[in-house]
Amino acid sequence: MTTHASQTKFGKLAVALRNLKRNSFRTTVLVSAIAILVALLIFATFFTMSVSSTIEKASNRLGADLLIVPVGARDFAQEFLLESKQKSFYMPKEILPRVREIEGIESVTHQTYLETITGLCCDVAQAQIIAFDQHSDFIVKPWLQNSIGRALGPGEAIAGSETYENLGLELLEVEKTIFNKRFKVVGVLERTGTGLDNAIFMTEADLEQIVAGGSSPLKQDQISIIFAKIGRDLDPYHVGLDVEGNIIEVDVVTRREMGSELLRKLSDINKIFVLSTVMGAILTVFLVWAIFSAIANERASEIGIMRAVGASESHIVRLFILEVVLLGVLGSLIGTALGTYLFMSLTKSFSLLRDLSVPVLSIRPLPAYLLQQTLIGAASIAVGTGICIAGALGPINRIKRLEPHVSMKGSLLCRR
Amino acid sequence: MSQVEISSLNKVYTVGGEQITAVHDLSLTIEKGDLLAVVGHSGSGKTTLISMIGGILKPTSGTIVVDSTDICTLDDAQLSEYRNRKIGFMFQFASLLPVLTAMENVLLPRIFAPGGGSNHHRRAEEYLDVLGLADKRHAFPGELSGGQQRRVAIARALINEPELILADEPTGDLDEETEADILRLFHQLNREKEISFVIVTHSSEIAAECRKRCRMSHGVLEQEV
Repeated sequence: MTTHASQTKFGKLAVALRNLKRNSFRTTVLVSAIAILVALLIFATFFTMSVSSTIEKASNRLGADLLIVPVGARDFAQEFLLESKQKSFYMPKEILPRVREIEGIESVTHQTYLETITGLCCDVAQAQIIAFDQHSDFIVKPWLQNSIGRALGPGEAIAGSETYENLGLELLEVEKTIFNKRFKVVGVLERTGTGLDNAIFMTEADLEQIVAGGSSPLKQDQISIIFAKIGRDLDPYHVGLDVEGNIIEVDVVTRREMGSELLRKLSDINKIFVLSTVMGAILTVFLVWAIFSAIANERASEIGIMRAVGASESHIVRLFILEVVLLGVLGSLIGTALGTYLFMSLTKSFSLLRDLSVPVLSIRPLPAYLLQQTLIGAASIAVGTGICIAGALGPINRIKRLEPHVSMKGSLLCRR
Repeated sequence: MSQVEISSLNKVYTVGGEQITAVHDLSLTIEKGDLLAVVGHSGSGKTTLISMIGGILKPTSGTIVVDSTDICTLDDAQLSEYRNRKIGFMFQFASLLPVLTAMENVLLPRIFAPGGGSNHHRRAEEYLDVLGLADKRHAFPGELSGGQQRRVAIARALINEPELILADEPTGDLDEETEADILRLFHQLNREKEISFVIVTHSSEIAAECRKRCRMSHGVLEQEV
């Protein structure tokens, strides 16, 4: 006898839900349109934010204010450090003290890069070798401390977290031959979020032995890159200009400039995303407008009846808005899930993302990442719902103004 | 005690540039507890008259004073509240929302009422029971006969316990037995709850059962019987 369930449920929300259910095809079309738009928005946002955030984080994690490389190697250095592309570029080691003498330079360290040659002299998979000076180093040391808690000894190497050598293997005490010299791979570096994750590290002293052995293409007293820290409150750009002005054999990349080429590409891609999203939004607004115009005409008599039993113009608007918001929220939720899924699954299809050194979603700490995703999701739901409301406002405004008697008269005419 | 005072009421429609007078200089008083029949031919202005009394159509000129307030001067929100609280409509057609069940259709006015729709389910159930629809509460209008739909509309008109029910051909397409049931209910409500009724009808039998009768012709209230 009791109808308790219906007692608690019946209200404006129930009416809105019933109206959405009455034409499931039309509802599906609207929800799909909003979902696709929001998915595009989410994908574009994630893509853009991930690339720029990865570049920013990677350049910050290197811990250097300036990267000093041989003239013409500016892009190579960035490609190696950000995109893990194997690169070799060299300059004379005698540049190092000249850099150190420049005003504003506080400390410097250097690295030398060398590509392994599979099969001939090395039994590791093709990889980038990084030799670093343990005395002056401030790039690798923090990660090394966390990994093995000590400096590398003679004949010891350590593998980056993304190297082939670390694919599911316990690396401790693995013997490898690199340029005919036996190395003990003593550990794996923590993920740094830079190109260092794709390299095998050794000390400069070991590299000198390899060079002396003549099995590598590298010559004595060559280095690849100098990392410099500058004094507090100094402008890296101006110090960089000083370095380039004093040492014509080098190019300087400031921390802020790191990834500028990638960011330029990203800016172009962004324009395409923005254009697509705006066009998608306009199309969706038109679709919602067209469908709600049809809905308003169809329901003229019902609206007349509701007005006759006491609904005011604002009640009618609220009922329609509720319907529109339900559509918008449902479409936006699906779109958010779809956009996130697409981004996750298609990440590797985009060279811009694939070439970045680390999985883009692992850059931030989890709480910050979740907060960011939640904010993006909430903003997308607001945008999707807003677009839906924008499209429906015209028809709603028109129908609310009809006198109840006129609405019902229309329905009588239709029935006859 | 007068419940509705209508003075010099006019309604002129403009259709295709032509002006059609639907109601002309009409004055009428409805007393509390009246059971008034308005008879007349099709197009005589009967429906227009009760639409204006019910506040779903604005008159061209004249006044309709209900409880000392001229409803012609009310804004949309006030007029909606007036319709919701004081008026119960029964239209020529059943006028149910097809997506709502019988019970929900009855409760529809409550969702627009101040205070919402709570605590009125029992009353809605009672009306549906009285109207012989106890087993049809959860049926949709498409699953009900014409007579059943009409009875649901009656229950909906009663749910807010209005002071005045405006019924436009309330038994127009119903069989004699259902018509008699509905008229009996009107009399009962009129007698027990002092609800006033204005019933627009073609039927001289229905008109004969009302305590007051008036006739409309070409928009003019010709006589009170």
